[in-house]
Amino acid sequence: MTVNQNELLSALVDGELQRSELDDVLLLLDTNEQARRQLQRYQRASDVLHDHNLHHHQIDLSDRISVALQDEAAFTATTVTDTSAQIIAFPTQFWKQAASLAVAASIGALAVVGVMNQPQNQLVANHQVAIVDMDARPKLAVKTSERWTVEEQEVEERLNSYLVDHNEYAGASGVFSYARVVSYDMGQ
Amino acid sequence: MKKVLQIVLAASTLLLSLTSHADSEALQMLERMGVVAKQLNYDGIFSYQKGKKLQSIRIIHRADEQGEVERLISLNGVAREVIRTNEMVTCIYPEGKAVQENHQPLGRGFPTDLLKRLSSAAEYYQTSLGQEERVATHNTQEVVVSPIDNYRYGYSLWVDKKSNLLLQSDLLDDQGNILETFSFSAVEMGHAISEQLLQPEMQGNQLSWNRNEHGLSAIKEIQKQPSVWQVTWLPEGFNLVTQQNRFKARNGAAVEQQVYSDGLSSVSIFFEKIRARHSHLHGSSKMGPANAFGTIMNAHFITVVGEVPARTVEKVGHSIRYNEAE
Repeated sequence: MTVNQNELLSALVDGELQRSELDDVLLLLDTNEQARRQLQRYQRASDVLHDHNLHHHQIDLSDRISVALQDEAAFTATTVTDTSAQIIAFPTQFWKQAASLAVAASIGALAVVGVMNQPQNQLVANHQVAIVDMDARPKLAVKTSERWTVEEQEVEERLNSYLVDHNEYAGASGVFSYARVVSYDMGQ
Repeated sequence: MKKVLQIVLAASTLLLSLTSHADSEALQMLERMGVVAKQLNYDGIFSYQKGKKLQSIRIIHRADEQGEVERLISLNGVAREVIRTNEMVTCIYPEGKAVQENHQPLGRGFPTDLLKRLSSAAEYYQTSLGQEERVATHNTQEVVVSPIDNYRYGYSLWVDKKSNLLLQSDLLDDQGNILETFSFSAVEMGHAISEQLLQPEMQGNQLSWNRNEHGLSAIKEIQKQPSVWQVTWLPEGFNLVTQQNRFKARNGAAVEQQVYSDGLSSVSIFFEKIRARHSHLHGSSKMGPANAFGTIMNAHFITVVGEVPARTVEKVGHSIRYNEAE
């Protein structure tokens, strides 16, 4: 955990996050177990300081957040061995929650309760729906992969950008590199 | 002449440094091939096959006191050109797409640098002579470059026995399947190449040539400290060759790139901080012989990209750890 990450978590508990920081902290919690534990500690400390200890133990926000995010981890940490790619598309409800948090944060510490307590079940449920939807997508044939085997242009563009950067510094087999660039999109 | 001697001496030194994995006759052929590719003028048409697609490309290469200039033009499908000089590669997309421009030539010239790269990777590849074959009316000798494991690709190179110019190159997987191939169908060598032949035909075309003069300014060293990312598995012989941080111009995200290579094969790992709602590769993807593996860790998009088998990028990707101590 970096100093900046700790500050973000502290600000979340204090309801002092700016809108632009919400994405960062939510994604941090989404992907970092230590961050989730740290948030739990901050939250308990805040509870004691504000004499809300009893109330929050009944709600047990941290554990429920952890459970929800652990469920979500099946989405982010699952090893996909299929050669056809899957795309992570964050559910709409997730971003609605982020927006809600942004609004709630402006009125203080209630944001923590408001966001973390109420919508977590929806978060998990929506991810499950997303997984089912993606599994239902047709797989792309690997053998005709003159383009990246992905289904979203944004992902394809990022991979193209990475490949150019890689070739620039890695010294790929030059003639092939040129030929790829010259012939790219020739199938369209 | 001095330059020629320098090249020959450098190539000879590299040749001596190669290990017993290499067939000396094959290496001498690679040496001659590398020298010729830098010094010979040639104008030819080669076919480039990837998957089910076949593309014809004209290549014009000139070498003189000023150095090398190379122009490639697609002859079927969407018109595209690549101009490579000593300093720069410019890719021109006439249909209005952005021009990709790198200040380091893609591949730094191939096969001219193959021997040099192979010298540092000699422990992980075996080099030998193969069959003889006729390519573009020229008699050629095959040079086979085989990896010692299945974490990298091999090559089959067909070299003109008379001029030593590379006339066909196949990229091979561990089963010997051709992943990608280019092969000359016609080539003229040793003629003078006019300046006009090296100028892009699309120059001035209102649909293209969006050269970004400020491209390098977007590349900034944002930190020079140990990375928080740790790669716990790499194929044998792969070492860190480049580590850089830059801001992606499009979305302003900070991206760390680590390049690992055995000298011939390589992978890049990109760590891009997630800034907003974006989709990302989760799992594997491929484009021709290039493979990618993506995941999300600690609020970062992690992507491993390389011209290596899928198993390599996947195994590297799964081995990445976030170093909490940093």
